Amino acid sequence: MKTLILGIGNSILGDDGIGVRAAQELAGKISDENVTVRDVGVDGLNLLEIITGYDRLIVIDSIVTENGEVGEIYRLKPEQIYAPSGFSVSPHHFNLATTLEIGRKLFPGEIPEEVTVFAVDTEEATEVTEEMTEKVRQALPGVVRLVLEEISAPVARH
Amino acid sequence: MTKKIVIEPITRVEGHGKVTIILNDKGNVDRARFHVTQVRGFEKFCEGRLFWEMPHITARICGICPVSHHLASAKAGDVILGVRLTPTAEKLRRLLHMAQIVQSHALHFFHLASPDLLFGFDADPAKRNIVGLITEMPEIAKKGVKLRSFGQRIIEMLGDKRVHPNAAIPGGMNRALQPEQRQEILDRIEVIIADCQFAIDLFRDYCAKNPEVVASFADFKSAYLGLIDDKGNVEYYNGKLRLKDRDGITVEDKVDPRDYLSIIEEKVEDWSYLKFPYYKKLGYPGGMYRVGPLGRLNVADGCSTPLASKEFQNFKKLSENGVVQGSLYYHYARLIEMLNAAEEIKSLTEDELICGKDVWTSSSQINEEGIGVIEAPRGTLFHHYWVDRSGKMRRANLIVATGNNNLAMNRAVYDVAREFIHDGKVTEGMLNRVEVAIRCYDPCLSCSSHALGHMPLEITIHEPDMSVRQVLRS
Repeated sequence: MKTLILGIGNSILGDDGIGVRAAQELAGKISDENVTVRDVGVDGLNLLEIITGYDRLIVIDSIVTENGEVGEIYRLKPEQIYAPSGFSVSPHHFNLATTLEIGRKLFPGEIPEEVTVFAVDTEEATEVTEEMTEKVRQALPGVVRLVLEEISAPVARH
Repeated sequence: MTKKIVIEPITRVEGHGKVTIILNDKGNVDRARFHVTQVRGFEKFCEGRLFWEMPHITARICGICPVSHHLASAKAGDVILGVRLTPTAEKLRRLLHMAQIVQSHALHFFHLASPDLLFGFDADPAKRNIVGLITEMPEIAKKGVKLRSFGQRIIEMLGDKRVHPNAAIPGGMNRALQPEQRQEILDRIEVIIADCQFAIDLFRDYCAKNPEVVASFADFKSAYLGLIDDKGNVEYYNGKLRLKDRDGITVEDKVDPRDYLSIIEEKVEDWSYLKFPYYKKLGYPGGMYRVGPLGRLNVADGCSTPLASKEFQNFKKLSENGVVQGSLYYHYARLIEMLNAAEEIKSLTEDELICGKDVWTSSSQINEEGIGVIEAPRGTLFHHYWVDRSGKMRRANLIVATGNNNLAMNRAVYDVAREFIHDGKVTEGMLNRVEVAIRCYDPCLSCSSHALGHMPLEITIHEPDMSVRQVLRS
């Protein structure tokens, strides 16, 4: 089974960079030839080519919630977080669930079937900085450990 | 009871695509505001860094148009170094830029705009989107995906397969194009050009079926700004600034882009983080101008390539004074540009110099100021840097395309709202049409923020005393 671990985020936008940092740490800890680790600064449809050709996709990203605790880590399925939106004024608005749906319709069989998202609760990133906030920084080892556990236990857990 | 609403543009869950409409005493629209989120602190972040790093850093500002920032930044760096690029380096930069135009315009037209046109503005939003398009018209959606991925492929060839391009550096390019890469582009380009023409036919067909909608939707007068080459053709990479006023009269011509501050000024409004640039001589807000595809085609006299030129003539026939004002024509202009860019890719790649090895010019000079201006897919993009003698950044000023269109987008929303709100009553269909109006401008709403979340459009209608009368959500 070919697995892609994908850290999504922007490393110069504070807590938004958590996915990128986690992927960078994981890259040094994983030597399985069936597992690829990447970090990207794009989202939406630009992910289509990146995720094509893998059986399993593990995404690490930040999430902004209304009631959650900053620093908390959630293990989610794409459909739990991204209600596909009919509205999109900007290409930023293509979320992962929509991208997966588009990919499966256009390229059947080429898009990962098993998709898991590890999302770290963050504040809204509004300032350009390489520094993450304390609580999010503390969540980094946790999210790295959870992803390592995930790839060593290939049976899907919910 | 009167309730004052504090507008907070930066709240992720409901922040993106937030519109405020304020009514007058008679219940008609007094003001309309489209709130754009923008991240802060970029200038401070840049301070003390070497200008050499800037093309790489600025490419990270935005996940949607990284190539545009990358190139504008490298151009500013060229000026700091005081160098002239080698012919190959300039061609490679143009190739990268044209690839970004094809990629970005294809994404916008096929995946964002075409569902409005093909299903109609009043179609259920659950269907009027990219997934609906793929389900009902998969062949059209596939062409869009193919065009976008062609542009993306060229960006990867030149940018070392990184998502954030690592292609341009002050003084030139990082690497040459390989002969097999050149061949790959040439093998695919004819099909790509045909697909661009297909997209134009699709829009023309829409116009033929909906002439009144196209002619009247968010149709208002404004000035236009864009770069042109020395023949007056649309120019995306170099060239001089031309500004036409609301009646199509050229009021600024052949302005060196480095003198942009002589014609543009920026205004800050307390309700938006995005500044409002305007044409200095006409003041604020009368100096509203539009940029992007419609702006570029409106200021130009022609296009550089044969097929796009022919279509450009058809475009110009839409108006008597050479400026086409209806917001929906942004789509038409965007498609003509996509064809123009595809043809440019062909001609750049056919030239043997594109595979030249001489891609970088060295210099020991450090000028203390550098300005790089390009036409990004969404419009004119300015990068202005000040450095110390060691090349460390002292200051940076950026005017982004969506900023240039800020006044115009507000105006488009105002026009649509005014048509749909009378005596305090909101007519069915307003929300959809406000979406369609904003979408014409292809705004890049939040540079480089990727956090997960559902982002609906929210329209809040306020009484004159700012109390909330009604909230509409998509």
